[in-house]
Amino acid sequence: MEKIKRNTIGVLILLVGLYLALIGYFCYAVLFYGDRWFSDSYNTRVKMDARQPRIIPGDILDRNGDKLAWTEKKAVKNPETGRNEDYYTRVYYSKASSVAHVVGFHNSEYGRMGVEAFHIYYLMGYNNSLIEKIYQKAFLAQERGNDVVLTVDRRLQEYISGLVSAHKKKGSVVLLNPKTGEILAMVSYPTFDPNNIKKFEDDTLVNRATQGLFPPGSIFKLVTAASALDNIGDIRQITFNCPGNILIDGQGVRCYQGKAHGELDIKQALTVSCNTFFARLGVEIGWKKLLNTGKGFGFNDDFLFSDIKVTPSSLPINYRVSEQELAWSAIGQGKVLVTPLHMAMLAASIGNDGIMMEPKLVYKVIGRNGNIQKQLQPDVYKTAMSYENANILKEMMEAVVLEGTGKNARSGKVGIAGKTGTAEKGSSGSDSSNLAWFVGFAPADDPTLAIAVLIEDVGQGHTGGSEAAPLARKAIEKAVELGY
Amino acid sequence: MPDNQYEILALTLRYWFVLLVIYTFVRSFLSTWRRLIGSNSLYSESTGNIPFILVLFAISAMILLSLKDDINLLIMVLGVLISAAFLFQYLFISYFFAGIDKYILLMVDTLCIAGFVMLQRLNPDLSFRQVEWFLMGSIVLLFFTIYTRYFKHWDKLNYLLMAVGCGLLLLTLLVGKEIGGAKNWITIGKYNMQPSEFVKIILVFVLSAELKQKKSRVKRLPVFIFTAIVILMVVLQKDLGAAFLYFCLFVFLYYIATSDLLVTGCAGLLASIGAVASYFLFGHVRVRIAAWRNPWADIENKGYQIAQSLIAIASGGWVGLGLGLGSPQVIPASRTDFIFAAICEEMGILVGIALIGLYMLIMLRGISTALEAHEPGDALLAMGAAVSLAIQSFTIIGGVVKFIPLTGVTMPFVSYGGSSMLVSFGLIGIIQGVAQKNHDIRQREAEQQQINDDSGEDYGED
Repeated sequence: MEKIKRNTIGVLILLVGLYLALIGYFCYAVLFYGDRWFSDSYNTRVKMDARQPRIIPGDILDRNGDKLAWTEKKAVKNPETGRNEDYYTRVYYSKASSVAHVVGFHNSEYGRMGVEAFHIYYLMGYNNSLIEKIYQKAFLAQERGNDVVLTVDRRLQEYISGLVSAHKKKGSVVLLNPKTGEILAMVSYPTFDPNNIKKFEDDTLVNRATQGLFPPGSIFKLVTAASALDNIGDIRQITFNCPGNILIDGQGVRCYQGKAHGELDIKQALTVSCNTFFARLGVEIGWKKLLNTGKGFGFNDDFLFSDIKVTPSSLPINYRVSEQELAWSAIGQGKVLVTPLHMAMLAASIGNDGIMMEPKLVYKVIGRNGNIQKQLQPDVYKTAMSYENANILKEMMEAVVLEGTGKNARSGKVGIAGKTGTAEKGSSGSDSSNLAWFVGFAPADDPTLAIAVLIEDVGQGHTGGSEAAPLARKAIEKAVELGY
Repeated sequence: MPDNQYEILALTLRYWFVLLVIYTFVRSFLSTWRRLIGSNSLYSESTGNIPFILVLFAISAMILLSLKDDINLLIMVLGVLISAAFLFQYLFISYFFAGIDKYILLMVDTLCIAGFVMLQRLNPDLSFRQVEWFLMGSIVLLFFTIYTRYFKHWDKLNYLLMAVGCGLLLLTLLVGKEIGGAKNWITIGKYNMQPSEFVKIILVFVLSAELKQKKSRVKRLPVFIFTAIVILMVVLQKDLGAAFLYFCLFVFLYYIATSDLLVTGCAGLLASIGAVASYFLFGHVRVRIAAWRNPWADIENKGYQIAQSLIAIASGGWVGLGLGLGSPQVIPASRTDFIFAAICEEMGILVGIALIGLYMLIMLRGISTALEAHEPGDALLAMGAAVSLAIQSFTIIGGVVKFIPLTGVTMPFVSYGGSSMLVSFGLIGIIQGVAQKNHDIRQREAEQQQINDDSGEDYGED
């Protein structure tokens, strides 16, 4: 009997543990993922009814107060009854295709996307206080949601969208403020017209800036360099003789067009984007430290940002990684995958003395009477690197634009620092299409702008320097002109 | 009543419902805590105003629901009926059995009333039938209380029970009907019933009777075989929830009774192998696992149930959208397996957590009863009933909130369903029977003590 009692108490403790774990998990999941579940486009509770909407969604505005999306009532003849009936639809401004992926759409047929989906909580007025809800139900003919003011600038969106579409290639640009994390422009091309969603071509609806995963190519060398600065004390004194082609673990790693760069240190290696140097460096650092630095920059993190849904970037290296895979990862090839927004954050963190800010998309939420219900609060997301190392890396990135692969980004109006990248899209070498990358920030000494540019499917012979860098320069110059 | 007036009322009253449920939980928790740390014995506990609070909850929720659309007097009457049924059950049983654990009864009734309210909201017909099942369940509760308390030779029926259990499951395999992906229903007249539920009670009795005696492993062979057969049969019926439940019941009871880590470990190993094998053998298991790992990946098919459940829970928020203001009907199986999500949506996550807490407290008190038992057989009976209820509610709630893969079992006392209600009440009846026995034994001892003391004093005076 004594034994039975002792065992019973053991089982009791086990079961209580199970229940506490269940309650704990439940609270954790609701707190951290609840708003994502709520805003899912399969949530039919928050759908706007076309005939007699219970709640009319609020407007979406850009940071200067220009309307991007609003609700309109139209009298449409009902073919069944022959009478005119009021129909409510969401209307988007005339050049909405330039912000289509940011604003998204709210459509009875196609569902919801973008801010229209993710911030439906505000748009439908779910954040209103009990008193406000009761007031609206009691005294208003129709309830009204709140207006959401975004951090994007409509003029910048239109300008950058024009630049990307001129290329006639798939691509994406993200421009943000490194100090606050405000997203000033986020463009994805090909795009669509939210006022007239009829047909899409395969991946038109994908917001490449936040949902598209691409190999980063040479811009990942920034992470490798940051890791080296952190972990190898005398890295700046070490030099390496680049033969243009080296063997690691039996497989060849070669520089662009097989060019031998000769004797160089880390700064020169970054400037000319030397593959062999960084491949060796990656092996030298080791997977553990490289992974740690990568995690510091947000790799492999779930990105549970409050304002925006971002696909996690992956840096899949672990104790089983071979030297060869590690070398490929260190130069941004292999299985490393990133989103353009994350790369803009990475550039921003280097410009912002190593502090990575959480990206923000909502500037303000304005209630029915014009009262501000929510205002942008900059949040630090991660401290990616130390102040000193960030500044060393900053200098290197300036050199890239002044004398290295990023020469095409040099501007007479503002000092730009950056890094180019040309990534092979397929893991197999036979795929001839490349990705052209440019990440950077400006003004170089005290950045207020950070940018990531991605152009897909550039032909052989085209690089990040030739395709993406000029576009980044133009976008930054326009932003400076507008006073950012 | 106009829509906007109803909405205002429901919006305001949701705080009231949260308050009532949380109050019941906190009262029960404090009382259980005091009992566990030993500053309060079962027989000096007072249930205070919990019955009153529950009546208030039932009536106010039903009045609110009756005001939706047109004023419906029938629903108000149902509210009164529920209160009457609950009070009658509670007062009747606690009058005749002074030794039972009143808190367990009240917590069970809280769950039932929450279920009535939600079912009324989802489908008015079901609510009334659920009250009928509640009353029948109370009779079953009474039956098992008396049976466990007074019937001393229940272990003689062991082989008969085993035969009945196997027969029921075999019958299901042969003539069973498939509802919701599992072939575990038998239709008798107009009723559908789930034999795998009844086997739970049989298993509790069979295991307790077999395990209370000290025997060698070889002599326990019949009970091993019986357990294996019932688990195999429910697996064949694709009723994985029941299989998991039977397995836990066996492992826990066996370990408690024998402290035999070897067999327990072997059983665990065997079950792990079985689980892995079933993952590779059965398509429906893979679907469940895939839906659990990422329901959003295939939200239109495999992940639909869980994704809708999570969306509903998140839409409700901490205090809920208000009774009648959400749309829990879009959750699949919202009346049975997913009723927890529906409750979270309209009454709030706080109420949901309180309900999980109530299940935990029922388990705690059930196991305390087992700890106070004087004979191994009684301890095992109470333990089996408590573990069975605890594992079942854990399995379904864990599945609904994506903590563990979903297996289709009902939420005891809350989900709609006759078999589930009767069996759950039966299990509570077992616990109460043991509690009553403990009480009677203790009282007899006290009287004995009294007599001894008295005679001792007499002796001293001489």
